Amino acid sequence: MAMRQTPLTCSGHTRPVVDLAFSGITPYGYFLISACKDGKPMLRQGDTGDWIGTFLGHKGAVWGATLNNEATKAATAAADFTAKVWDAVTGDEVLTLAHKHIVKSVNFTQDSSCLLTGGNDKIIRIYDLNKPEAEPQEITGHTSAIKKALWCNNDTQILSAADDKTVRLWDRNSTEVVKQLSFDMSVSSMEYIPDGEVLVITYGKTIAFYNALSLDMIKTVDAPASIHSASLHPDKDFFVAGGDDFKLYKFDYGTKEELESYKGHFGPVHCVRFSPDGELYASGSEDGTLRLWQTAVGKTYGLWKCVLPVIGSRELEGKAANGGVGFGDDQ
Amino acid sequence: MRPHVSVLRLPRGPDPNGRGFDPNSPRFIALCPTTISASTETGTDSVQIREEQRARSVLRESFLRTLIAMTNKQVQFHMYERVKVEAKFGASDIDVLNFQVSELHTPIGVQKEALLRCQDVISYSFDL
Repeated sequence: MAMRQTPLTCSGHTRPVVDLAFSGITPYGYFLISACKDGKPMLRQGDTGDWIGTFLGHKGAVWGATLNNEATKAATAAADFTAKVWDAVTGDEVLTLAHKHIVKSVNFTQDSSCLLTGGNDKIIRIYDLNKPEAEPQEITGHTSAIKKALWCNNDTQILSAADDKTVRLWDRNSTEVVKQLSFDMSVSSMEYIPDGEVLVITYGKTIAFYNALSLDMIKTVDAPASIHSASLHPDKDFFVAGGDDFKLYKFDYGTKEELESYKGHFGPVHCVRFSPDGELYASGSEDGTLRLWQTAVGKTYGLWKCVLPVIGSRELEGKAANGGVGFGDDQ
Repeated sequence: MRPHVSVLRLPRGPDPNGRGFDPNSPRFIALCPTTISASTETGTDSVQIREEQRARSVLRESFLRTLIAMTNKQVQFHMYERVKVEAKFGASDIDVLNFQVSELHTPIGVQKEALLRCQDVISYSFDL
């Protein structure tokens, strides 16, 4: 008998959660960072959602947050016109990079030596973290605020999405545009999957998949509501999406079929990402919470416990299974 | 009505009194820079730093070799609160946070298998 999804709610933020990112898998597990309009990004244990610490220092809403692969460094982008780099083990602020406008996006290279930033001043910047006082390399071209800037193609190229309704692929060395995609509306989110070079873009009710090297379109899928963010499972069999109607949708990547939808958030979903092992996905919402959702509902993982039902037991009818706590509202 | 998936507990929330990043967590202890800072604070003398690094390597190697030499031997541990115990040393974990011991003789009896918390150990000695 299929079980109902029990999302795990991570509370603590007092304003909308606008961005989230996972680290890679480290000897201590994997981690999750959340960007919040309350200006206090938080680090959590990725598989349980347990709070580890809060990065204190920003003086405005934090719009973007990221972790390096080893989860030893964090970077945040904020409305106080700065991007900050943090020690993700001690929580100490390591670097403040002043910008001329709201910063929206931050991204580390694979070796954590460089940081990419983008924001409302329409300029993409590359900072060498070994020489932080040096002037960053600047990439200009976008005609509106940049929403997201990501390293791709082994950190030799950069993908950026802006409010000018374009997604651009840049060469890191020449700082020239290699290719460009234009849309009828603003792109709401972008995810880059290095393994397989897939780019996931959302706009309107559409989730679109592109080849990250050629920017050739692979496929598009339409959701029942306006989508703010989507994420492709590491095995590329599912993808999840969330947006205006507060729900999380799960689709089959191959057939484009909508498999499930889950209610739970009390506000629009702003960001959603799969964990690096694909066992769960995290969503951040206008309601100020993060929720963790199981990919395989009912499996024992993290805080979720698989309880096998006793055949013929009355407990199957309308009550949570033995010894557990049941929460949440879904279909 | 289908049953909900059970959970062990809810995710832990933030501590209202602090910003977190527990210095006693295994990750913090393993990844944080050593608290013994280099004696040359200004750090301009690279020869002195190299010498110090060589000394540190020698000390570290000796320490690791003592752990090997101690295996299966009777070791006396001096611990805080005037505690003296003796046990057969088994192994240390990778971050030297715990020592696995057997036949731990304590004032209240012999514990067949135990873990000693290294931060509680002041010194230990054994016969080669």
